[in-house]
Amino acid sequence: MFCNRLTLILMASFLPATRAVCVDQSLDVFSKRVHPVLIELCDGCHGRKKSEGGIRLDRLDPDLVNGSDSEIWHDVFEQLKNGEMPPAKAKQPDAEQRKILTQWLVGALQDAAEAKRGQNGRVVTRRLTRYEYQNTMRDLLLIDLDFAQGLPPDPASQEGFQNNGSTLEMSPTQIEQYLDVARRSLSQAIVTGDRPRLYEVTQNATAMGKLPTKKFAGHAPVSPEFILDLKEFPRTGPFELKVRARAAIPAGEGVPRIQVSMGNVPGIIHVPRGEIGEAEVDTISQTITFHGRMEDFPQPGPISFGNSGFKGMIVMIDFVDADGNELRYPDRTYTAKTPPLKKQKKDQDEAIESDAKKEPVAFGGRLEIEVQSVEFQSPVYASWPPPSHERLFFASPHVGNESLYIRDVLKRFMESAFRRSVLATEVEQMAKLFGKIRADSETFEDAARETLAAVLVSPSFLYIVEQQNRASDDLQVTDFELASRLSYFLWSTAPDQQLMDLARQGQLKDGKVLKQQVERMLEDERSSEFVRHFVTQWLDLGGLDRVAVNPEFFPGFDNKLKTQMRNETLAFFSEILRADRSALELLDSDWVMLNRPMASHYGLTGPRSQEFEQVTLESDDARGGLLGQAAFLLANSNGEDSHPIKRAVWILDRLLGSPPASPPADVPDLDTENPDLAKMTLKQQLAVHSSKESCGSCHREIDPWGIPLENFDAVGRWRAEIPQVNRREPMEIDTVGVLPSGVEVEGPTQLKRYLVESQGERFAKAIVKRLMGYGLGRSLDFADRQTVDELTENFVENDYRLRALLVDFVQSKAFRTK
Amino acid sequence: MKKSWQLDRRAALKAAGVSMALPWLEAMGAPSSKRELPRRMCAILFPFGVAMPKDDAEDRQWGWFPTGQGKDYQLTNVLRPLEPLMDHVSIFHGLSHPRCRAMNGHDTGDTFLTANNLAPVSYQNTISIDQYAASVIGKQTRLPSLTLSTDGGVGPRTRTTTLSYTDKGQPIPALSDPAQIFKRLFGQDGASANDRRKLQNSESILDLVMEQSNSLSRNLGVADQRKMAEFETSVRDVEKRVERSRSWLDIPLPTVDRDSILLDTTVDAPRDYLKAIYDLQFLAFQTDLTRISTYQIGSYGPSKARAFPAVLGLKPDWHGLAHAAGKKGGPENIGRFDQFLAEQLASFLTRLQETPEGDGSLLDRTLVLYGSSNSRTHQNRNYPLLLAGGGKLGLRHNQVLRFDEKTPMSNVFVTMLQALGVEVDRFVDSTGPLDGLT
Repeated sequence: MFCNRLTLILMASFLPATRAVCVDQSLDVFSKRVHPVLIELCDGCHGRKKSEGGIRLDRLDPDLVNGSDSEIWHDVFEQLKNGEMPPAKAKQPDAEQRKILTQWLVGALQDAAEAKRGQNGRVVTRRLTRYEYQNTMRDLLLIDLDFAQGLPPDPASQEGFQNNGSTLEMSPTQIEQYLDVARRSLSQAIVTGDRPRLYEVTQNATAMGKLPTKKFAGHAPVSPEFILDLKEFPRTGPFELKVRARAAIPAGEGVPRIQVSMGNVPGIIHVPRGEIGEAEVDTISQTITFHGRMEDFPQPGPISFGNSGFKGMIVMIDFVDADGNELRYPDRTYTAKTPPLKKQKKDQDEAIESDAKKEPVAFGGRLEIEVQSVEFQSPVYASWPPPSHERLFFASPHVGNESLYIRDVLKRFMESAFRRSVLATEVEQMAKLFGKIRADSETFEDAARETLAAVLVSPSFLYIVEQQNRASDDLQVTDFELASRLSYFLWSTAPDQQLMDLARQGQLKDGKVLKQQVERMLEDERSSEFVRHFVTQWLDLGGLDRVAVNPEFFPGFDNKLKTQMRNETLAFFSEILRADRSALELLDSDWVMLNRPMASHYGLTGPRSQEFEQVTLESDDARGGLLGQAAFLLANSNGEDSHPIKRAVWILDRLLGSPPASPPADVPDLDTENPDLAKMTLKQQLAVHSSKESCGSCHREIDPWGIPLENFDAVGRWRAEIPQVNRREPMEIDTVGVLPSGVEVEGPTQLKRYLVESQGERFAKAIVKRLMGYGLGRSLDFADRQTVDELTENFVENDYRLRALLVDFVQSKAFRTK
Repeated sequence: MKKSWQLDRRAALKAAGVSMALPWLEAMGAPSSKRELPRRMCAILFPFGVAMPKDDAEDRQWGWFPTGQGKDYQLTNVLRPLEPLMDHVSIFHGLSHPRCRAMNGHDTGDTFLTANNLAPVSYQNTISIDQYAASVIGKQTRLPSLTLSTDGGVGPRTRTTTLSYTDKGQPIPALSDPAQIFKRLFGQDGASANDRRKLQNSESILDLVMEQSNSLSRNLGVADQRKMAEFETSVRDVEKRVERSRSWLDIPLPTVDRDSILLDTTVDAPRDYLKAIYDLQFLAFQTDLTRISTYQIGSYGPSKARAFPAVLGLKPDWHGLAHAAGKKGGPENIGRFDQFLAEQLASFLTRLQETPEGDGSLLDRTLVLYGSSNSRTHQNRNYPLLLAGGGKLGLRHNQVLRFDEKTPMSNVFVTMLQALGVEVDRFVDSTGPLDGLT
């Protein structure tokens, strides 16, 4: 938070937003409003006459930024919030007094936290996040492995970002993982010997076999429509899978899809499998190609388990309709081209035989997919040695001389890995390591693998390093550092050749060049990484995974829809960025991005497939903007019903940039005082809640932001009333909320209109701050205030265009200094 | 004729999925240490607190705490699964960490095993009891300790997803995936020539990385230097681990049957998942790969464990259940789930108890601390807590002990540390060992 919320709106952008101004304002509020309240309520015990617990409030320094009492003030805040002070027998603050104290304390404590961050110095050198590490390794080594698999998840900062340098930690376990991954990856990237034997299997019809049908250990039973047997397969290496298929699509039906997975059958219990991918299948026969790596899929162990005889792997193809519902065809007849996976029990044999006697149903009469052939090849290499190998061991005049050649190899690899030019001494240091390892290794490649692994656990690789020369005050980022800032911001990966070249030539700092580069980078496919990670973290889309939908309330709800919900929000933001539309459309829009499953979920029609497309809304439809999207609505529900408080907090935090303080430690229970609560509408319940003094002072300013959205149920569908489920009676919905400004809004449409018309600048500032936090990989501090204000002002002037904001930000002082 | 204890022992091991390639007792011992039966500890936290209906309330049976005290107590439905084990269990009433009482109710997962106040502006934690113990007894095993949680990693501060903290107060990332835990325990053998060479290389690689870090650090800002120090501490720790692995090179790992544990289970199947996590801790203890473990069943933050109650057909919202614990029907809901958790704990304790060791069982030399850092949700007082095991380490059980707020929970830590053979007479704010346990 910047500055006290009381003064937030008063702080016009022409004021130089400095620390002194903020402190002065805070002190002014303190002496005029806070101090009199403290004297009235606390002076008896903590003042001139008595100082119980050694605390004298009249002597505490009200300057939390420069003074030394901020921890004590924090205790004061906690005790007040928890209702521990003033003690029950003493005079209690009234609502107005409580508000005066709370608001001042919250603001002043936040100021203090920001100031402290500034004083301790910024963390600008930060570790790569999991996903940045994944992308960086892939681009560096030219192989696509699941590099980040074993790494611990990254925590989110207070602002919700995973790329915050001060929260990204390092531990021994991680170092071990990095080293392990480096070795495994290099053993794939660097090859020895001839091209390995190619395993090939083609099938024109499904293999037969009984697969487990029971749900077990969280694994759903499988019943694929097509099975490919892989009796022989390589344990590692890239594979290619070509599926030729066509579909029959009756009028009105959407485009169906195949979902392809691979795994093995270890026994009778369940089939461990991993997803290879999925694709649409249209009426015209076509070949779809999938890629993956064998080692990423569950493979049969060396020892048999249970009564399994089949030791191979299987590729499974499931059919789903455009809404994602599984398509099953128990009446279909198959011819087994390959022997059964495992011996059938006798009765099942009979069942299948009797199935086979059924009349075949002709293809085309219903929504159906026909897989015509499946071709598997592994390991597939475009060339031999593969590009990953060729890139590391390039042609150099020193090829014949190991000791000279390794220096060439290391120099080039280190420059890519460290994202800068390297010193000769750095190369020498590495070459020495090579010499040491080489003495004990059989081949040059073995020793090279180990040496290059050292590069991949070096701090210069694992951290985005920004050096600071303490002898001078120059805090400008260097050209190479700027290149990394840009690429990790917009692509979540290392700079590409062009950025590196511009940096090397010293051109990147040029404002025009920067602008061109931002535009180029946004056009590039890799910018989808920016959308994905920035939006997911800013809007906390991960919240979807923390809510389990109760099937009693939403029978038939499929958890796979959560992915579609997430994608909807990403597609929506993507479209605004791509078409350079006003960011205010995030608050309200007359269009949405929908695919078939989401459209059906909302009760809308249009899209035929799972691809998202732009759909224009009817004028009375309240779906537009983020607040009409299921990702937000479900993530902020409890899986049974809407949760107006959660929704309100999300709006205040994520969209308006003023998260309310967390609730006191001892949340009073409502029920004991009001046994009829269950019969009340939610709004009435909230009213009871708000009428309690300790809750009300905050909740009266929170709840009204969520109440107008009561038309959306827990999973984000529209509702006119709350239906009966179990013990919950049907209830009317009341969507009228009185916002803190005194404005009354009813229903989502009015709330959204209010946000667009009255909260635009607040939203602009909030988005600027989040964008800066993400782009800089750190929490903002006092020194950033001016940039925030300038960017916000320009952003609003530029009609809330994100592209202009991105360019503006990248050219700003904050982005170009440490 | 075979003596019956030999049979039992072999059967027990087989049931545990351990097949013996070598006389394993000898093989398990640390390279240089003299044989003494191991002493172990395990600490488990569940979040959000429990139901606490008044003694005369209709649904008192769904309250977590037993009624009565001393030897004269009655378990409620919730802890009834522990009934057959009560000779090995003490339940505490009234304990908490005094320094954490004024903290936000959701922040105390971070301090469950550290007992310290987290200054909210500067956030600085301190060493947790398990790591304190590991610094002494962890030296004798292949792994000094094992840190587990349902959510994995470290999580956000004040809502961390780990219970363990280093001597610098840094959170230790927890493992969550059973397959990964298994690999950590039984994955590295290091016996082959290739593995030996790798370990040797690792030392050279880490040396060099350390050098790089040192020279890099000289050109960094003050705050960045602190981050780099974190990197260097980690590298140094791995160096120690590598050294340790080398000293274990000639001692084969116990062979265990992967298939005896549900390694590919996920948090979506809570019953199987919890079983797998407990099984892995059991195996780790039984094979003496480590003597110390912590497991956080759920964090106070946006934990995946929030959906666990769905396993009983309850609302998949643990936090919500805990909040509703005071409402009508609320105690039964949360109580049934807490009972489920107690069943899982009971199976773990039973396995420990059924596995003989020396003149007793594994449980007799294992301390299992189990509880929450909230009583009612958001309340940082009167933690629901119990301590199991350690009969051969001098602990007395089968009792419910009541304390007033003057007794800090750290007193339990002191008793535990002393029972583990760690010479210590205080931990953070303790006032001595806990009365009534020894």
